[in-house]
Amino acid sequence: MQKNRPSRLRTALAGISMAALVAGAPAVAQAEDLSIAAVSGYFAQGFGISIVNGLERAEQELGVNVQIVDTGQRALDFEEQFNNLARGGDFDVILVMGWELVDALMTTAEAHPDQRFVFIDGVLESDNITYIDFIEEEGSFLAGALSSMLVEQGVEGFDNGSEVGFVGGRDIPVIRNFLMGMEQGVDSASEDVGVSSVFAGSFDDPAKGSELAMTLYGQGIDIIYQAAGPTGEGVLQAARAAGKYAIGVDIDQCPSAPGHILASMLKRADIAVFDLIQGEVDGSAPIAPGTVEVGVASGGVELKICEDMMERIPAETIASLEEMRAGIASGDIDVALNR
Amino acid sequence: MSEQSETRELTPAKAPVAMPEWLHSLLGTLLAISIALLGGAVIAIMVGESPFHVFMTLLRGAFGGPDRIAGSLLQSTPIIISGIAACIAFRGGLFNIGVEGQLYMGGFAAAWVGFSFVLPAPLHLTLGIAAAIAAGALWILIPAFFRARYGTNEVVSTILSNYVAILLTSYFTIFVFKRPGGWSETAPISTTAELPQLFEFSRLNWGLFIGVALAVGLHMFLTRTTAGYSMCAMGSNPKFAEYGGVPIRRNVFLILLCSGAVGGLAGGVETLGVHHRFMEGFAPGFGFDGVIAALLANGHPILTIFTALFFGALRAGSLLMEVETNASRELITVVQAFIILAVSAQLLVRRRRDSQAGERRWKY
Repeated sequence: MQKNRPSRLRTALAGISMAALVAGAPAVAQAEDLSIAAVSGYFAQGFGISIVNGLERAEQELGVNVQIVDTGQRALDFEEQFNNLARGGDFDVILVMGWELVDALMTTAEAHPDQRFVFIDGVLESDNITYIDFIEEEGSFLAGALSSMLVEQGVEGFDNGSEVGFVGGRDIPVIRNFLMGMEQGVDSASEDVGVSSVFAGSFDDPAKGSELAMTLYGQGIDIIYQAAGPTGEGVLQAARAAGKYAIGVDIDQCPSAPGHILASMLKRADIAVFDLIQGEVDGSAPIAPGTVEVGVASGGVELKICEDMMERIPAETIASLEEMRAGIASGDIDVALNR
Repeated sequence: MSEQSETRELTPAKAPVAMPEWLHSLLGTLLAISIALLGGAVIAIMVGESPFHVFMTLLRGAFGGPDRIAGSLLQSTPIIISGIAACIAFRGGLFNIGVEGQLYMGGFAAAWVGFSFVLPAPLHLTLGIAAAIAAGALWILIPAFFRARYGTNEVVSTILSNYVAILLTSYFTIFVFKRPGGWSETAPISTTAELPQLFEFSRLNWGLFIGVALAVGLHMFLTRTTAGYSMCAMGSNPKFAEYGGVPIRRNVFLILLCSGAVGGLAGGVETLGVHHRFMEGFAPGFGFDGVIAALLANGHPILTIFTALFFGALRAGSLLMEVETNASRELITVVQAFIILAVSAQLLVRRRRDSQAGERRWKY
């Protein structure tokens, strides 16, 4: 089902490029040679859909060939699927997303050292693979700044606290990055506001997330930023139940509890994937082993304010948020980690 | 095929066509497969691919080289073993639709033994396999008891036990035995518990031979032993068997238990031979594939090997097909669905024919 979309696009694209050739413009001829395969079991879900969007844009604008392979659920198939993609040598780059595929990816990457692999949203132990790593702390900085400004200015609904909340999944380095980014954002916007943070100890426990969020809301906190995967869904629901506010993460979570989600800190896989392919196509940044950091500068990480919240947030807050975004993008604001 | 002639002694031949029953069921199987492939071809045309190209890619993916053949055998192994599990129940006139759940329980039990104990190699492996068998048998214990004691419909109870098994192993994997920092999977088993691989280039392992040995063993049991004979008698006509002195209740219980044990073994072979750990939701559908393979083979253990090989090859081929053609891997699921339809239609026709002949068949 997933596969039909790109292939139909490809047919359309072939028509367009034929027309271009007839018109005597060999513009995309070179890029057409680039074939990209994308492998994941999550192409029907938020982050995976984002990847597919990026690939489709690359297909349309850059004229690359895209083959999408849905792994399904059977662990037995993974290795064969990678092998089938790699051994023919038909694909210049193979994009991979999903932690359950890591073993099969490592085995295949070792067996086919000349095949270029890109792993999305994480860094593994192999030196042969390109990693797309989102700089979560930059987006978290903006999330912290937004909540801090609202609380300090006493905007209606956010006026009874000098604290904002954070609910993390497990207390692991990557989630600490979210928290450190947020704390710096909170501090830079206001000196009087502090962060009250808790960790659920699990990414799969919405009930725990809800319980922790309720405790924080009970202490008078109005806004909670969550970085807790499915556990965080509980935080969003608690915001609705308590009549308070939360900030979502990874994908656009505004629809989870409309009216109670301020914004979402997005990891824009579509932008990251498109930029990666563009760098390869125009030769400015060929895909090579190593880590590609995707942050606020490229738009790969952004804070998206929910539509239904726009009118409740003062215009000057939005303006200073934009100022900070530009500052991070230009490097004037350094979101540092004690890595 | 002497067990067929024994069946005939019990149920005197009234079939209008004078051909041996095994040939009849083989022809039926081939007919079902042909209809399914034809249906697959129609769908290939609908997605804008040449059916010839799709099937050639399928064939190449399944048999195009030693490693591809090994890949097909690797895919077939769990289907053969779970198919035998289903066969055992079918031949005794029972249904075990819980092979899927037994497979999960067996897989988890084997992995648990594998990563929890430190033992010398042959003993560790044996213990892991024994744990898988025991877990599978344990998982059918309640349905088997209620079927034997109160005549509770085992189809419903075994189906329901699947969900419990899948979610229970998920719970164990995520909350109790999760490998720190990893995906939802347990720690790897120690090498002493691994089923040895056959070749360097494939994950194909000794599990294949376990499956084939089970099939041959079951065939011998059914055709050469008194117990096997009484089991077939039960399957063909339980009233007659009871009249002839077969202890129906005890046998129902034992048959279901054996079926569950083999289902557990199917999972154990997967975790000990292929994955070397247990992963949450690692093998959706293998148990059901086994049931279909056994149905397609009309409950014949040796034929089940071949129907399982067919499904395994389809599966392996489909992995290449989805890369090289526009046809989705799910085309194979459609082909399998066509097979089920064709087989069920045949069973209906046969049942009608039998009842017209004044014979009430309990088989299936």
